[in-house]
Amino acid sequence: MVELKKLEVCKQVPFPPKSTAGLNLIYNNNKVPMPSNKSHCIARCFKITQKENLQREKMGETVGKLIGLNDEVIHPAATLAMEAHNSPSKPFLVKKIKIRHDHSSVVVLAFSGSMLPDDWFGQPPFGKTKIDTGKFPSLTSLNDGGDAVVNGSFLRRFNDVLDKLSHAKELKEATEKKRQVVFAGYSSGGPIAILATLYFLEKQTLSPRCLTFGSPLVGDRIFGHALRREGWSDYFTHFVMKYDIIPRIMLSPSSTEHEQILNYFKSKFDRKNINPAPPSGFYLTVMGNASSVASYEACHLMGCRNPSLDIIKSFIELSPYRPSGTYVFCTGNGNLVVVKNPNAVLQILIHCAELGESDAAEVEKRSLDEHSAYPSELKESLEMQAVVSLDGGPATATLNDLGLSPQAMLCLQAAEEFENRRSRNLEKIRKYMQKIEVELEKLRKYKENAQISRLGYYDSFKLQKVDDDFNANVSRLELAEIWDEIKEMLKEFELPDDFEKNPEFIELGKIYRRLVEPLDIANFYRHSKDKETGAYVIGGGPRPKRYRFIQRWLEHHEKKPFGSRSESLFWADVEQLGIDIKKKGYLQEIKDRIHQLERNLIAWIVDRSLDDDVLLEHSTFVQWWTDLPLECKSESDPIKNLIRGKADTFIAKE
Amino acid sequence: MERRMNQVPLFSSAGELANMVITSNLIDVALAKIFELQRGQAALPCSVQPMVYDPTPNEPNRTIVVFAPSPDSTQYPLPQGGDLVPYPDFDFLCTKECPSVSINGAALELFESLKNHLSVLKTELIARDGQLIITGHSLGGSVASLFTLYLLDSMNKKSKCRPICITFGSPLIGDFGLQHSQWNSFFLHVVSNKDPVPGLFLTSSHSQTTAYKPFGTYLLCSELGCACYDDSDLILKLLTVISSEVAGGLLQVVDYGEILRNLKKRAICKGRWLAVERFADPFSAGIVMELETIGIDWTKHNIDIRRMEAEARSLAMKTKAFDAKKLNDIKKYMALLEWYKKRSKDAGKGYYDCFKNGEFKRDIRIGEFMGHLNAYWEDMVAQAERKPQKEGASFRTSWLFAGTTYRRMVEPLDIAVFYKDGKRDYIKKARSQHYKLLEQWYEEAAKPTTREELDSKKQKVSVLLTEDSCFWAHLEEAILSCKSLTNANSTPELRESSGNDLVKFGEYVMEQIENYAVSPEIFLKDSSFMKWWGEYKAYITSPSNPCSSRFIEFIDFMKTGRYGVYGRSEVAA
Repeated sequence: MVELKKLEVCKQVPFPPKSTAGLNLIYNNNKVPMPSNKSHCIARCFKITQKENLQREKMGETVGKLIGLNDEVIHPAATLAMEAHNSPSKPFLVKKIKIRHDHSSVVVLAFSGSMLPDDWFGQPPFGKTKIDTGKFPSLTSLNDGGDAVVNGSFLRRFNDVLDKLSHAKELKEATEKKRQVVFAGYSSGGPIAILATLYFLEKQTLSPRCLTFGSPLVGDRIFGHALRREGWSDYFTHFVMKYDIIPRIMLSPSSTEHEQILNYFKSKFDRKNINPAPPSGFYLTVMGNASSVASYEACHLMGCRNPSLDIIKSFIELSPYRPSGTYVFCTGNGNLVVVKNPNAVLQILIHCAELGESDAAEVEKRSLDEHSAYPSELKESLEMQAVVSLDGGPATATLNDLGLSPQAMLCLQAAEEFENRRSRNLEKIRKYMQKIEVELEKLRKYKENAQISRLGYYDSFKLQKVDDDFNANVSRLELAEIWDEIKEMLKEFELPDDFEKNPEFIELGKIYRRLVEPLDIANFYRHSKDKETGAYVIGGGPRPKRYRFIQRWLEHHEKKPFGSRSESLFWADVEQLGIDIKKKGYLQEIKDRIHQLERNLIAWIVDRSLDDDVLLEHSTFVQWWTDLPLECKSESDPIKNLIRGKADTFIAKE
Repeated sequence: MERRMNQVPLFSSAGELANMVITSNLIDVALAKIFELQRGQAALPCSVQPMVYDPTPNEPNRTIVVFAPSPDSTQYPLPQGGDLVPYPDFDFLCTKECPSVSINGAALELFESLKNHLSVLKTELIARDGQLIITGHSLGGSVASLFTLYLLDSMNKKSKCRPICITFGSPLIGDFGLQHSQWNSFFLHVVSNKDPVPGLFLTSSHSQTTAYKPFGTYLLCSELGCACYDDSDLILKLLTVISSEVAGGLLQVVDYGEILRNLKKRAICKGRWLAVERFADPFSAGIVMELETIGIDWTKHNIDIRRMEAEARSLAMKTKAFDAKKLNDIKKYMALLEWYKKRSKDAGKGYYDCFKNGEFKRDIRIGEFMGHLNAYWEDMVAQAERKPQKEGASFRTSWLFAGTTYRRMVEPLDIAVFYKDGKRDYIKKARSQHYKLLEQWYEEAAKPTTREELDSKKQKVSVLLTEDSCFWAHLEEAILSCKSLTNANSTPELRESSGNDLVKFGEYVMEQIENYAVSPEIFLKDSSFMKWWGEYKAYITSPSNPCSSRFIEFIDFMKTGRYGVYGRSEVAA
């Protein structure tokens, strides 16, 4: 079995120098599989992989390269952010930074902060609120997860500066001169910078970057998921000192301890009192609550199957906030650790600030002092450039600087494994694609053949008379199996965050939905299931969720309102109208629905999102529509023409 | 070893779960109320009744019920108090593995003495909305557990109260396991490795002690930390180890308040690098660290980590995505069988006979589908059986309809296989237990057919499945009886008994027809049933024995060819 090199390292044995040959030997002898995915945190504490060797050789990388921003911007941004934070009279400060080697300019805009408790926590315990999807349309789940949740006080403060920000001449100038814009924020200025960056990413008028220093957390899991889905996560970089209490504070519910901490910083920053007495006793409360969140997430990462987990969770209220974006941990001795995996970030946030051998009171004091140490710490670190990225290889020595316990190492390994699992699931789905194509092709043929009877495949399927109909039903079930599996994986976050943005899957989903949902509708009304469950489409009704989700992917992709792409529901509308007319007669409400259906039909036929086989002369739709009283039709002539047109092409073909 | 390395790594989350519990305020709340009650009870020495703490403005959705018996000798159970007493009132906990329920005598005595009061309290609490924490220390915790079970049995889907039972240092209460039940997730037992009480009945020399079984989640803790387990066998083992290692016995009072304060501090301290052996996989490393944290030397006590890993691996398979896939698979196999049935009907034979004769190429695949369906439903039935009665019943009703359709569709095929091999007496000798249970549960749930339902069945009978899934077994026996009857070599006794059996069969078929319970497919030209009739009609024993009117009706139904219109909607008109 593998010698546990890592274990020794963590017992304060220095990592052996770059003798890669020896490590390679271990690698070869033990056939450790190479991780296939490159962009995930690896903190493999019980194995040594070849990647580590590569990583050690790559140590020459700078923070700037890892986060995609020039190194020269970082320190001035930190200084400006601190200055802005302590200038409450101005909502933000702006500075242009010249980059030496290419003479370009970067415009840094740093936001002011506030240490008033009300500006941190609104409604206890967590002051959370749903994000305004008018301003931030992407910050939502495309399946059942709902809209992102953010800290209401931070959102309010962002809204307060938005007007001034939108009219800032510096931004206009930067846009015109195509300069890189960086939104920066220190402490409570951080959340404003994050929301401002997102706001412009949504508007697409700018492509800003975001740098924060000792910022508290802003959004929940959906917030981070949406950022990663949209591919924006890399634009956000958060610098965090090893013990700084502020980046952890939102993981704990609002309490008197919070007020003590904020009051301390307030008097410190106000300079009314140069050396205010630091509060004490808060560390156990804040970190204890934060630890509860980290343990809860670790249970999920580790695949906890104890059913009590959910019951216990329902009795305690954990903070909804989670880290997102890239984190750079300053270890305190000049080293920097760059982490992108959000689950790993959360675990490091809690575990690296755990109490060790040293006195608890000392750590508590450090957790306050370090919050104001960013500019000096970064100056030193950026000169040293002793940077290690956790994403792509384990970085044992630097992790050791973070002082992680063995349990923490297991958590990091679980966070890495979670990403690996998501990649494996994606591979699995990719393998399914071929099968999806095969089944779709069968159904396309089925649809084509069904035209010959001038009935259309919807009606043939509903009748279920011949072998072909049955085979189509099997194809329908085969496809449902695959898409339901995808749906469940997405609900459990078991697929990469950007899955729902993948054009390949959106397109395949669109084809699938248009071709197969009519068969599900046919099956539904064939068995008169509406009598048991109500109409096919009602709110969270019997319509299979797989279709609802796939439709949202497309609508989101095309930036269209939800529900606007419901062409695959055409038959459900027809069936339900038929049933409701029998029940209620031609009420005004029914007439309105008929008119809507007619208008939709024409629009969908024109943009080809609905196949014109619905116009076949024996189809349920044509027969039903033809029999409608004339006064109920609003688009009689255009539709008549469409039907005639379809019949003509048919004759022409024959 | 090589093979294991290629597997997906697993993790043990026992430590993280415990850490989450400790750092939240859930058990603080319960423990604080226990202490509050114990302090107050010094003034009221005779009260053993539970104390109900109603919701407060700070905690508007939380009710806490504390069982803290008065601080005299009843608070701590005696080692010789380990008698298990059968208690039929708790028979709702019975499962297949545990057909009767026995409960610790001391706990039961307390519970019984409070029963009148508790039954009122139960009704009142179930009507509440929100969190309900039921808690107690030592023997008080045992009564809290019993009360929670009593409460859970009365809850239904409409109940809005969400209970959790938290005990501190309570002894085991009974011989029922509940490991596979959803109810076990409502129990959290906090046990210190210094507390002799929880394992009390496991080490005394009492003959009944081996019967005790833990259920629910155990949060085991030492000065170093804590871990949560829900594996009943492991918990039993750990409790035994703890109680064997606690010196001093009963006199030592464990202060859970102090333990909790220490653990909360521990939770934000870096764990030590314990003397971890060189483990290649995170699962073993995690388990060993957790065991060492709670003060258990795993090498000394022969704890099987591989077995734990195998179990974790099989559990890890059962994701929601996996379930969704499986359910769709089952739907697909049923659709395939339905189509097979339709095709067979078109061929004029019925799917039973088509399959039995194996005429089509596709018949071979049908066997494969059957295999999948049988495996799925055998598993579902086994799962339902492992749950306590009430919970099992609600689990069953959610799929009993689908299970019944499956039974009616697939069991005839199993019967076909059986008789094709020339065997006799399927129902007595070969019928699978899961079919029997599916039928039994259906009958228990079924309501008597109303007039309107019979009419609607009459309309639809041609598309329905034959209700009695053993119909074809009865028929096969009838065919064999018919052979005995017509065989010249048969003894007169055999002939007579065969004749009687055939009369019974005729009556049975007529009853099915009258109830529209049999598919008209049996009357298809080439079906076994019609072949049987063809042979039998020449030998119908003349009414030497007095014949029932139903049998006469049957003969008439068949002879006049009325079966030809059975199942056609015109007949109803």
